Amino acid sequence: MSWKLFLLLLEAARLTVILSVVSIGVIGFLLATGVCAANMSQNRFARGAGWLFVSFFRGTPLLVQLLLIYYLLPSIGLDVPSEVAAVAGMSLCTAAYQAEIMRGGFAAVPTGLVEAADMAGMSRLTTFRRIRLPIAFKLTLPGLINEWIMMLKSSSLVSVVGVVELTRMAQDLAASTYRPLELYAAAGFIYLCISIVVALVGRGLEARLSWGRL
Amino acid sequence: MLLKTIAAGVLALALGTVAHAEDALERVKAAGVLKVGTETAFAPFDFIDAGDHAGMNIDVFGAIGEALGVKIEWVTLPWDGVLPGLESGKFDMVAGPATITKARMERYRWSVPVAEATVALLKKAGDEEITKPEDIAGKTVGSGKATAQLAQLLEFAKTLPEPIETKEYVSFNEAYADLAAGRVVAVANSFPNIAYVAQQRPETFELVEPPFGAKTYFGYPGRKDPEYKTLMDAVDAAILAMKQDGRLAEFQKKWFGITFETPDAPLTDAAF
Amino acid sequence: MGAAMKFDFSLILASAPDILRGIGVTLFIWVVCVALGLALGFLIAVARRYGGRVANAVLFVPVEVIRGTPFLVQVFLLYYGGPLIGLSLDNLPAGIIALSVYAAAYYSELWRAGFDAIPKGHLEAADCVGMGPVQTMTRIMLPEMTTLILPAMVNMTILMLKETAILSIISVPELTLTVSALGTQNYAFVESFTVLALIYWALVEACGGAGRWAERRLAKYRFA
Repeated sequence: MSWKLFLLLLEAARLTVILSVVSIGVIGFLLATGVCAANMSQNRFARGAGWLFVSFFRGTPLLVQLLLIYYLLPSIGLDVPSEVAAVAGMSLCTAAYQAEIMRGGFAAVPTGLVEAADMAGMSRLTTFRRIRLPIAFKLTLPGLINEWIMMLKSSSLVSVVGVVELTRMAQDLAASTYRPLELYAAAGFIYLCISIVVALVGRGLEARLSWGRL
Repeated sequence: MLLKTIAAGVLALALGTVAHAEDALERVKAAGVLKVGTETAFAPFDFIDAGDHAGMNIDVFGAIGEALGVKIEWVTLPWDGVLPGLESGKFDMVAGPATITKARMERYRWSVPVAEATVALLKKAGDEEITKPEDIAGKTVGSGKATAQLAQLLEFAKTLPEPIETKEYVSFNEAYADLAAGRVVAVANSFPNIAYVAQQRPETFELVEPPFGAKTYFGYPGRKDPEYKTLMDAVDAAILAMKQDGRLAEFQKKWFGITFETPDAPLTDAAF
Repeated sequence: MGAAMKFDFSLILASAPDILRGIGVTLFIWVVCVALGLALGFLIAVARRYGGRVANAVLFVPVEVIRGTPFLVQVFLLYYGGPLIGLSLDNLPAGIIALSVYAAAYYSELWRAGFDAIPKGHLEAADCVGMGPVQTMTRIMLPEMTTLILPAMVNMTILMLKETAILSIISVPELTLTVSALGTQNYAFVESFTVLALIYWALVEACGGAGRWAERRLAKYRFA
């Protein structure tokens, strides 16, 4: 495989990284905290809405969600450009997964610690800020990193709404050079490099958070 | 707020037909842009050649754009998304091209043919067991799932003394990979496409001549809705003009190495 | 919405037997690969934790490579590249092997997180009351960590269901391949997306329901 082809893959990988950071790391993560808060709230309406959100966006394939956003929304007068559809689809889908992981983390905070904080006279807000949030964060970090890496790779599905990211570029080039094995292997290598960076950042965070050790 | 959005949506849905009733050719000319949906994994019609969008479609649509006095805006999607995109109005017509069949003629308005789509076989380079199409009798042959080419292969197989086994793939690119891997002895696809494959990787693949079965053609699909009639008529006129002054043959020569005899009018019937 | 685009499920429903077969194939692959992946992932996690530095280092590379590359690429290379090195598998075995190994790499990280989350005090206590390593594992660690990592496990299991759709690239006749081919044949695109969404949603809800049931059942093992 020539350098020229590899550079084209790298160019497409840049788009994959940008899409992933924006959708998974920023919008998806923020949405997930909101959905998680709704799921843990006392308000039944909020809980119901949160449940429905998680159920739908976790329950249906990202591919189908993207198709619905891109092909069905125009029929109600909302013409969504390719990039917007891609970011919207990825953000909504990952938010559902991340919200569930966060919920799991909060559920796993030992009740004894929360009771102890209560006994020590901490307010609910302080307990949340100083006890529940840090411990839950520590507990959910491996799951969240798993999800970020999974979603990074799922970003290949956005080609279905017309965004040429890394996987699609590899497929396109394979279709004109008829060298699919080399191109897929090269694309796999680039994904690996990106996910190693994500995993290293995660490991670093986990190490920094040793204070959360029970 | 939410209710307002829904109401606006419903209203847009109700008015949808009115909005679309505007003549497509006038709209395209007014905007100065013809939006064309296509897939870039269909060499030599449409592909990414070392980073650039290339292929016969670029030349043909370049000439169509010139004739209409508009620019071409490409929307590239995987093939699965191209026809749904046409139906949901993401673009004005589709490049591709695709084989014109009876069933597809009922669903879409087709441009005049731009190339022959008759099916032929691709085999592994140097495979002495297959020298003519009939040699696939009793063997395993690959093709694309739910494609016109697969239908033509199955039609041809009925005429063979021994039945063949078929393997169906999500796209032809996987079928070629499996031919290289040795799980199928041949891949059936339209002649222009596999002639190009064999030319690109002569050390791996070889064309089995001649093509077999009924003659079929490649055309560009558009919408059947009445407001699209003038646009598709204008596209036809542009392609026929290209044919008459020899540019179409030139494009065919450039991309396939050979020229095809194609009909002078939109097809009214297909071989199957 | 143009005149050409309207909902008509009759074409899809007429193919119900094909769709049911697709569901069957998808379910079969999902269940087998999740079971194999959980077991293999557990072995990997135990080997990395208790097998010393060498085992940890040896397993680190394949786990990170499998986690870091798309499943599509792995399946493609195994199935279409395998014959070049004399490894010619049929599509179903190739798909099951690939997905089980893929699942194992991810599950092993979740098991690892589970091991890490068990309070040292509990292990010391088990040691003090004379429990052996196997007993500590089965009576203390597994029950405790399972409660902790269950939501993440359910998440991952759902993701594995979605990954089964990738097997269409090697022509495994699973649900997505079956239904999208029906959609293409009948030009029933929107209908086929919708049917796919509803079927996967039902499967995922069933899995999520099982997860919540297990969470309640295992709640008694919650510590602290």
